[in-house]
Amino acid sequence: MIQILLRDKLDDCITRWHAAGYDVIGPQKNNNVTRFAPVEKASELDLEIILTDRTVKELFFPQTEPMFRYRIGKQAIDTEEYLPPGRKRIIFGSRPCDASAMAIDDPLFGWDFKDTYWFQRRNETVMVTIACTESDDFCMCTSLKLAPDSPLGSDIMLRPVAGGKGWHVELLSERGREAFDRIEALLDDSAAEKEPIANVPKRFDLDVCREWLADPENFESHFWKEISIRCIGCGTCTFLCPTCHCFDFQDEGDTYSGIRRKNWDSCSFALFTMHTSGHNPRSTQSSRWRQRIMHKFNYFPGKFSMNSCSGCGRCSRQCPVDMGITETLQEITKTAK
Amino acid sequence: MSIQEQYRKKAAELLSSGEVKLVIGYGAGTTPDRRRPLFVRSADETSKLHLDAACEANLSGYLVTEGLLADRKKVGIFLGPEGIRSVNILASESQLDPDQIVIMGFNREAESVSALEGSNVRDFPAMLAALKEQAPGAGEQALVERIENMTPEERFTFWQAEFEKCIKCYACRQVCPMCYCRRCIVDNNQPQWVQTSSHTLGNFEWNLVRAFHLSGRCVECGGCDRACPVNIPLRLINRRMAMEVLDAYDHFSGMSPDQETVLASFKKDDPETFIL
Ligand code: SF4
Ligand code: SF4
Ligand code: SF4
Ligand code: SF4
Repeated sequence: MIQILLRDKLDDCITRWHAAGYDVIGPQKNNNVTRFAPVEKASELDLEIILTDRTVKELFFPQTEPMFRYRIGKQAIDTEEYLPPGRKRIIFGSRPCDASAMAIDDPLFGWDFKDTYWFQRRNETVMVTIACTESDDFCMCTSLKLAPDSPLGSDIMLRPVAGGKGWHVELLSERGREAFDRIEALLDDSAAEKEPIANVPKRFDLDVCREWLADPENFESHFWKEISIRCIGCGTCTFLCPTCHCFDFQDEGDTYSGIRRKNWDSCSFALFTMHTSGHNPRSTQSSRWRQRIMHKFNYFPGKFSMNSCSGCGRCSRQCPVDMGITETLQEITKTAK
Repeated sequence: MSIQEQYRKKAAELLSSGEVKLVIGYGAGTTPDRRRPLFVRSADETSKLHLDAACEANLSGYLVTEGLLADRKKVGIFLGPEGIRSVNILASESQLDPDQIVIMGFNREAESVSALEGSNVRDFPAMLAALKEQAPGAGEQALVERIENMTPEERFTFWQAEFEKCIKCYACRQVCPMCYCRRCIVDNNQPQWVQTSSHTLGNFEWNLVRAFHLSGRCVECGGCDRACPVNIPLRLINRRMAMEVLDAYDHFSGMSPDQETVLASFKKDDPETFIL
């Protein structure tokens, strides 16, 4: 016997969560883009979307975030700090690759300096993930040794039951306890079969790639130029990537008053590494693309024992020139074998 | 012989005779409906070239890749009418020597492609003149008109909802053959002309600046619109600007490599009615 949440109880479920003080955020299609946004009732959710265009990353690490306001007076400098709003939230219906990506970034944001903005939001957010029973041509979680039902980063896991009537509910973490308790009375005992999870083919051999990337001989390989020749150096793959986390500080205002902001930045941009002198250590697009791959599959795992990629496939799915991580790792797998 | 076969053969000839050092065309993409830019340097690779109705990208932006044309050697390229227009603009703005470009031109219809006669950018005056006279697509025009008929408040709300989505990935700029500035105005920080933050105001600033920089230059290839990962209908902005310059100056961008530019040319007898 398993506990299931019936689809037609979703409204009750949302009402209970609201009553307990949670904001409920879920996948929606609005204005031609799919992303996570607050919902009032179940009908606003679009749970058929395999993966939203935009990731849940922006709910923890927004594209622009005010940090503090400054005012320079004659005698003193006034500053006023901004912190995230401090609301309990439930992200309902994230996919395992998005949820894992948040867990992948935890050590990064907590490594030498604990990023308050990230952790405050992480701590007050419950991830209710829905395992995937469908995938598309770009999904590649399995290539990253994850799966369409990976528990990484999720607090509650929902697994669709056959016939689409609802989900098998499993509490995975203490963080999800309260949210689970609030809806436990709504759950039904059922003998319904779980729907099989999506069959996502393995697209490359990660171990082979990691080994090739770790070999210093390959750093200057002609491979990088060849593979990235059509890359136009936009920010699409990094900004839509749930694990990409680079940011820049910008002061908006003038010398006397303004706001300091934390903004998304991208290693695909030439400006990212531009020195004040005008010298740019990563002056070519191929060196920038190499950095992106090296960071995700060589430096990051070296430091945090995890790949900085959860296999969501957005970098390939949405690249304007049909490039992406997948092709590069496929080619490395071929080259190295 | 299909046009794909014809151009594969032509590309192979151009490469093996040494007339061009490189052919920029389309190759198969990740999925059957996708095509991707392909760079071919030897005759035996030309069988990888594709040409069909799925070949939407305007490849001309690659021509201004730093250093590509510096050796004075020729480059072959697959171009639709918009691509031919953008090569004309790049030439008129002294960004390239049009005689270094060998064009394999094609027209895209709903399901198929047909060849355009000619190989130098000067070979297409009749096609371009016809294009200038051609009314924009009905669907497109309806949308432009719908926005035109809005009150200023409604229009502002419409664009606010669109620009709120922008993430400042600059894919629109990077994919655009006309956005070739080595350092875009938004990347300038001494002084910081445009706010880099991607809040709605910063996004407005960015998209308006780009619209102005493209007025009289945009060839409406739709590249920015297709590239935008959050699906902002960028083509509408450029369409509106194109209507404006056509109306005010009878200027249709990219007619010839010698065409005067709209925003960078000066005429003594210009009435300058906009100057107060
Ligand atoms: S790989 Fe694609 S999405 Fe990423 S920077 Fe290059 S062109 Fe943009
Ligand atoms: S690198 Fe690509 S596949 Fe991996 S998490 Fe980022 S966007 Fe997804
Ligand atoms: S492509 Fe779209 S999201 Fe990216 S900067 Fe341009 S308008 Fe903004
Ligand atoms: S927006 Fe303007 S400044 Fe920036 S690249 Fe395009 S034309 Fe140049």
